[in-house]
Amino acid sequence: MAVETPAKPSLSDKLYDKMFHNYVWKSIFRTGYPNTPRNQMLIVATNVFLHLHPTRLHRTHVKVTHTYCLGGLSFFMFLGLTVTGILLMFYYVPSVERAYLDMQNIETTVQFGQLMRNMHRWMAHAMVILVFMHMMRVFYTGAYKPPREFNWVIGVILLVLTFLLSFTGYLLPWDQLAFWAITVGTNIAGAAPVLGPKSRFWLLGGFEVGPNALIRFYTLHVIGLPLLAAIFMAVHFWRIRRDGGLARPL
Amino acid sequence: MATAAVARPAAKPQPRARDEEVLVWPDLVFIEFIAAMVFTLALFLLSFLMNAPLLDQANADVTPNPSKAPWYLLNLQELLLHMNAALAGVIVPSIWLVIMGAFPYFDRDNDGQGIWFGTENSIKLSIIGGLVGIVGTWFLILWDSGKLAFFLNDWFGFSGGDTFRFLENVRSIQTQLPWPEWSREITYSPWNIVIIGEDFQNLDFPGWLVEQGIPTGVMVAFPSLLIFALWRAGMIFTRRDAVVVLFSGFVGAYLVLTVVGTAFRGQGQELVFPWQLKVSEGIPGQH
Repeated sequence: MAVETPAKPSLSDKLYDKMFHNYVWKSIFRTGYPNTPRNQMLIVATNVFLHLHPTRLHRTHVKVTHTYCLGGLSFFMFLGLTVTGILLMFYYVPSVERAYLDMQNIETTVQFGQLMRNMHRWMAHAMVILVFMHMMRVFYTGAYKPPREFNWVIGVILLVLTFLLSFTGYLLPWDQLAFWAITVGTNIAGAAPVLGPKSRFWLLGGFEVGPNALIRFYTLHVIGLPLLAAIFMAVHFWRIRRDGGLARPL
Repeated sequence: MATAAVARPAAKPQPRARDEEVLVWPDLVFIEFIAAMVFTLALFLLSFLMNAPLLDQANADVTPNPSKAPWYLLNLQELLLHMNAALAGVIVPSIWLVIMGAFPYFDRDNDGQGIWFGTENSIKLSIIGGLVGIVGTWFLILWDSGKLAFFLNDWFGFSGGDTFRFLENVRSIQTQLPWPEWSREITYSPWNIVIIGEDFQNLDFPGWLVEQGIPTGVMVAFPSLLIFALWRAGMIFTRRDAVVVLFSGFVGAYLVLTVVGTAFRGQGQELVFPWQLKVSEGIPGQH
C-alpha cells in the first residue's frame, strides 16, 4: 500500500522562503506576495503610493477608453519633469552671464545632458496637451457634475498652473526664442487694465526681460509653482476618493 | 408541538455591487504601469530623434520677426491682432476661465454622468459646436486679415469699390467710414481717472467700437445665437446641452486660434500659408 508523503521543498521553495519570509523583508513589506485577493487588497491599502487608489473599483473604470489614463499621465509627466528638472538644476545657473553657456554645456559636455534637456522639454509640451485633453475627457463624460463640482474648479486652477509652469520654464535657456517669447508673453499680461503694468513689473523685476526676470522665473519655475501645483494636486486626488471615486451613472 | 414546515420561496440571488467590482491590483495598476511605460519609451524615442531648440544667445537689440509667445499662448497672441490688448490678453481668458470653472454650478443635473456623451443629442451638439467654433473662427480671422476681401477680388473679380471698403476688415470700420469729428472725442465723465487710462474721460467712439465693442459683441453674440438657434431647433433641452455646445465651440475656436497663431502667422504677423512662413532672425538695432 502506497503511503503518501509530502513532497520535500525544492531549492526554489527554500530560496523563496529565505528571501521573503525573513525578519527584515517582513519589516519593510507587511503583506505577502500579491497573488491572493486578500494580499492584493492589502498591498494597495498599506502602501503610501498605492493608497491613493481604493482597493477595488467598478469594472467600467478600468476600461482604458473610459479615461485614456489622461489624468494619471498628466501626473506622471509632472513626476518625470521633476526628475529631469532636478538633473538639469545640477548644471544650470540662472544668471544672465552663465545661463546660455550652461545650456550649451548641458548639450555638449554633460553626459546625457542633451537627452535630459530634450526629455524635459518634450515632457513639458506633453503635459500641457495631456492636461487639456484630461479636461476634455472630464467634460465629455459629465464627470464635473455633483458632487464633484469643486474638484472641477481645482482642475481649472491646475490647468492655469500648468500653463504658468511651462511659461516660466520657457525663459530659462536664455536664447532668442526664450527672450522674445517671454517679452511677448509678459506684454500680454501687462495689457491688463489697472493692474497690468504693475503686475508685469512685479513679474519681471523691472521694465524689461533681464537678470531680475531670469531669477524670478527660475525661482517660480523650480520651487514656487511646483509647490503650489503639488498642493492643488494633493487636494485634487484626495477629493476624487472623497467624492466617491470616478463618476458613474446614477 | 409540531411545527409545520413552511415552504419558503427560494431566495433569488440579488445582484451585488461587489460583483461588478474588480481589484485595483492588478486590474488598474497594471494598466497605469503600461501607460507610464509607453509614454516613457515614446518620450525617450522623441528625445533621441529631436533636439530641443536652442537659438543664439538672448539679445534685446535683435528682434526676430515674427516674435512669438510659447505655442500654448499663441491663441491669445492671435486674439491680440483683432482687438484691444487688455481684452484679448487678459479679460477674455480670465472671464472664460471663470465661466468654465462655473460649469458645474450652472449644470447641476446628474443626467448622463460618468458616460462618454451620456445625454441625448450630446454627440450631435458637440460636433455642431465644434464645427461652428472652427469654421466661425477661421471666417472671422480671414475677414479681419482682409483676406476675404482679397479672395473675393482676386479670385472672383468681385469688388465693392470704395462704397464697401469699410467692410474689408474690422479696422476699416474706423478708418473708412466718415465718422463725425465729435464722435472721436466724446467726454462722458466729469473726472479723469488716470489709474484706469491716461485719457479716461474721453471716448474715441470709432476706436472703441472696432477694438472693444465689435469684438465683445461677436464673442457674446455668436455663442448665444448658436445656443438660441439650437434651442429653437429642438436640440437643446437642458443646461447640460447648452454647456456642451459652449464648451465644444470653445475647443474648436481655441484649436483654430492656436494653429493659426503657430503655423499661419509670418513676418509682421501677416496671415500666410505654413509653407510660406519664414522667420527673420533680426538685424541688430532694428526693432
